[in-house]
Amino acid sequence: MPNNIATVLSRQDTWRGRSQRLPRRAITTGHNNLDLLLQGGWPISALTELIPQQPGIGELSLLLPTLKYYADNNQLCVWLDPPYQPYAPRLVSADIALDKLLVVRSKNHAEWLWAAEQSIRSGALLLAWTKQPPPRYADLRKLQLAAADSGNAAFLFSVPSALSAPSPAALRLELKGIEFNQLLLTVRKQRGVASGACLQLSLGEANTQRTNLALLPADRHRTYPIQQLNN
Amino acid sequence: MLKSDRKSARPDIWLYLHFPLLPLETLLPQVPTEQVQKPIAIINQQKNIQRVLCCNTQAAAWGIESNLSISTALALCPELEVLPRQVEQEQQLLQQLALVAYSFSPVVILNNSEVWLEISGCQQLFKGYDALLQELENRLRYQSITAVNGIGQNPVVAKLLCGSEFETQLPDQTEIQRRLFNTELNLLETNRKQQQSFKQLGLNTVGDLLALPRSALSRRFDSELMLTIAQLNNEKPFVAPRFQPANTFRDLIQNPQGIFNKESLLFPMKMLLQRLCQYLMARQCYCREIEWHFEPLIGQSQQMQIQLSGSQNNWSTLLMLSRLQLERLELPRSIEQIILHADQFIEAPMGVFNLDLFDNQQTTQQSCELIDSLNARLGIDALSQPILNQDYLPEQASTLAIPGKHSSTAFNQKLDEKSDEKQKAPQPLWLLTDPALVQMRNQQLYWRQPLTIISGPERLCGNWWQAEQQRDYYLACDSKGARYWLFRETSSQRWFVHGLFS
Repeated sequence: MPNNIATVLSRQDTWRGRSQRLPRRAITTGHNNLDLLLQGGWPISALTELIPQQPGIGELSLLLPTLKYYADNNQLCVWLDPPYQPYAPRLVSADIALDKLLVVRSKNHAEWLWAAEQSIRSGALLLAWTKQPPPRYADLRKLQLAAADSGNAAFLFSVPSALSAPSPAALRLELKGIEFNQLLLTVRKQRGVASGACLQLSLGEANTQRTNLALLPADRHRTYPIQQLNN
Repeated sequence: MLKSDRKSARPDIWLYLHFPLLPLETLLPQVPTEQVQKPIAIINQQKNIQRVLCCNTQAAAWGIESNLSISTALALCPELEVLPRQVEQEQQLLQQLALVAYSFSPVVILNNSEVWLEISGCQQLFKGYDALLQELENRLRYQSITAVNGIGQNPVVAKLLCGSEFETQLPDQTEIQRRLFNTELNLLETNRKQQQSFKQLGLNTVGDLLALPRSALSRRFDSELMLTIAQLNNEKPFVAPRFQPANTFRDLIQNPQGIFNKESLLFPMKMLLQRLCQYLMARQCYCREIEWHFEPLIGQSQQMQIQLSGSQNNWSTLLMLSRLQLERLELPRSIEQIILHADQFIEAPMGVFNLDLFDNQQTTQQSCELIDSLNARLGIDALSQPILNQDYLPEQASTLAIPGKHSSTAFNQKLDEKSDEKQKAPQPLWLLTDPALVQMRNQQLYWRQPLTIISGPERLCGNWWQAEQQRDYYLACDSKGARYWLFRETSSQRWFVHGLFS
């Protein structure tokens, strides 16, 4: 329990009657429209829960600017139990220093929770993917409190079934892919704002260019029948 | 070799440290707590007679004193606890005490069981000699060591002036001279014959001896005494090797009763780590790795290695890491001996003394601490870092490695320049460790859902020297907007999912 009044007042979630509210601290998401929707960007000192409808719709590319910001600041980015292996060439082309990324695999729920809390409290950016069974409310609250104390952003990727359960996260975003390269974000919970706001986000230009197979460099070491290449 | 008569403006100040209860204090930590309050005496074997070397205050109250034979001592106090002297452990403790002295002055002499230190250069650092002496006394008391000291202008005088308690006020030159002249001659280390001739000559104090003309003395006494007199007068140097901390650190704590649970291991571990940090401070270096050995009375000992991603000289961090790793360790039932070993050190990095306000030293330190604690709790297999290799096949271009072992920054830049030259096809963020086979259903690609190809292909060839691979990579998408990285193997014409764009 913090006994120092200055520590209490410096916290973001302390409300003071007379004075104006402290400016909301946030870091930019890298997308202007999203920054507007989220009132400045991803909240820091808070847990953000992202709920993609299914993996692969662009939920991770949303965080690339944030990852780069933290890596440039010489802070570690911990990926806790990612569903697949991160692909290094893509991260390098986004200018993210690879030695600032740390992939952590936990063996059980206790380890998962411990590693998540430890990472948040040590000033690292946490990207955590939930495991089955989903973490309990009390566990997530632990992470939210850790984030509030540390002053860092923390991201949690949940499965769609988590939407029906309550969450202590300061921000909950549901992510849906509508069509190719189009992402629909729905705010499910945000402090001080009614939920339900939507935003359609385009993820870069769609490259639908097709290359003629015959124009590609052929393998010099083995010959293939032409009709096989063209079918 | 050290000569005490160095040419310097300041006169030397030598401090002699004597530990009268060292044999007892070496063994006290191993005595069970309920027996510490009982009379204890340490005995020494001398020519078939066991004599008391030293004893605690409880035993002294019974009239036990040093040089009593063991039978007399037991007759005086029947419940006396008698322990044999452990010379080897005493020497280890002395090394530790020399390290303590070494943290006060760079000039330390450790000779048998005697410790000297020269403190004339350390006045400013400790803000005065009295503060230095006070601090030294506190440090020795913290180690629960009884020490007495003597102060003089050279080591021989300091030893001769050693009193019966620890002096924390520095006497001035005339005071030292006065004390020296009043010292009784029987404290001088000489043989009995010479002591007799002192008596015959009517010499009682050192002052009496030094007042006599030197030529008269040299006729009467041997060269050894003449050397001592010359050393007392600062005419000949006192020569002894200078103390240097050992190159590796190894220390142990024994517990003959055995330790049965992990919680009670922590206290001796903390003591050992504090000693390690004292050693690191003295050598001005940081350790990269420490090793614990837990040895039971019978059976196989258990080891535990703690590797640090950064460098450390802070015992509380090391204790925290050891504790985390200890939780995962299967220990023998009862542990009798705990050994701490460290031999990988690095010089203190320059950055530590960097006073730049905007330096990101602190975040690096934090990251290293996080990696270490995750490592200690989850094990080394749980952590990895993506690294980039110079290869065309995606699964070989991007691999996972143990954190901190690989530096890929130089290579990153090279790749950046290359990618500027040519607009590359989009790359996914996720890679499937094993490409998943895609089915064909109704002339459509199907993996979890029906897939449609958006763009491509990009042809990648590689590994031609063993199993040749030629793949055409496509970007595909399903009805819900998820994007996949597919490839078709040219040789087998089969489709695989290799990544997700996310």
